[in-house]
Amino acid sequence: MEKPKEKNNRLEVWIAVLIALVSLTTALAAWRTASLGSKAGDLIYQGLLDAVKRQATANEDWRTAYEEAGYARDYLITLDGLIVQENSTDPASQEQAAQLRTYLLPGMKSLATPLGTDPSYLTPQGWLSVQKRFDQLEAQSSDLSSLDPLASFSLADTYYAEQRWLVVGTILIAVSLFWLGLSQLSHLRSRILILVLGVIVYGFGLVWSLGVEAVFFILRGGVL
Amino acid sequence: MNKPGISIPERGKTLVLVLILLNTVLVAAVSALQVDANIRANQANRDSQYYAVQATGSLIQTGARSEYDLNTYSKWLTDTQEALVAEYSAMQRQAANDQQGFEALTLESQIYQARANQAKSLSVLMTDPAYAPASDQVPPDMDTYTKNLYSYSNELVQKQNDASGAYHRWNNKSDSYVAVLTVLAVAFFLLGIAQMAQPGVRFLFSSFAIVVIGISILWTLILLIF
Repeated sequence: MEKPKEKNNRLEVWIAVLIALVSLTTALAAWRTASLGSKAGDLIYQGLLDAVKRQATANEDWRTAYEEAGYARDYLITLDGLIVQENSTDPASQEQAAQLRTYLLPGMKSLATPLGTDPSYLTPQGWLSVQKRFDQLEAQSSDLSSLDPLASFSLADTYYAEQRWLVVGTILIAVSLFWLGLSQLSHLRSRILILVLGVIVYGFGLVWSLGVEAVFFILRGGVL
Repeated sequence: MNKPGISIPERGKTLVLVLILLNTVLVAAVSALQVDANIRANQANRDSQYYAVQATGSLIQTGARSEYDLNTYSKWLTDTQEALVAEYSAMQRQAANDQQGFEALTLESQIYQARANQAKSLSVLMTDPAYAPASDQVPPDMDTYTKNLYSYSNELVQKQNDASGAYHRWNNKSDSYVAVLTVLAVAFFLLGIAQMAQPGVRFLFSSFAIVVIGISILWTLILLIF
């Protein structure tokens, strides 16, 4: 029959092996938890860069749209004055109007295109539709204006959510390591109880962590 | 008197084990709270920066828009005044029997009036019912215009301030949870010593650990409530 001391020594070896295994799992779980936070941080960084790029493009497009609106306004105002001049009975004024139409108006018209020359750019109230021109400019600079920082932020949130749940599993695994360590130091009678407790906590933590990984892997469409 | 089956060196070890279990659960809970607070701080910080970028863009757009609107209004004002001056001058020339001067100035007045009419039709300030004056003699409602112009920017700045406040709040909480975890680590140390020590000293260390755990629980509750 096996002596209690020999039995105790064999148990110590098994606990040591378990501690090594749980230590590795703890390290892996801690690495994964930290890496999730890191991934979320990277996505936020990327999202903020995209937001700055997109906003800079929008700023330039607004500036251009209002600059063009200014040219269009000046052209339309000049044109209305010119029409009155052309319709006058004064030959000198008619001559001046003809000269202006030949030499001044084409340049103004080219700057005013399309806002001042295309009636579809007028709002029902009769104002120039700067918004429509802005939308058009945004479409032209789609490589920057189509950047979607909110998509990056949304993906970052899924990593944060996974981190929240995974940290629970990591804590459980770390707690089991503590219990296993304690069982190694305890005497035979309480050792078994503490060991069983540690193994149960470890198993629960491991299943929890793997479950969380699987759920978020599916939610992200197969992306870890 | 000792309980049957429990030797003196083992006395109180069960209590220490229970305390270690309690401390372990507390550490797990506070760790989860710390991670959560840290994540919330990061998200609020991100939102704050995102709103700041948007607010800057909104102000740039507002600046371009107000420049255009005010220039259009200014052009209407100038052409209207020029038309009035030319018309008045034409009347003066007519009174002085200067027919040629009268006709030239009348034409000039008509040209300026046509320009003013076009500027007016393009001016939001002169045609939008929200700002347009009842007559051309009265200026448009600039207060309402300015208020509406900056309303979106102000809204974004308010959101940015709120997010920035949330970031500081969660960041402080996260830091405080780290401090609670440090205190709980001290409790672990005390309980570890208690487990290895003789019964008399064991109870002393256990008492210290209970006090430390109590402080941690109280601190955590304060952090959760406020």
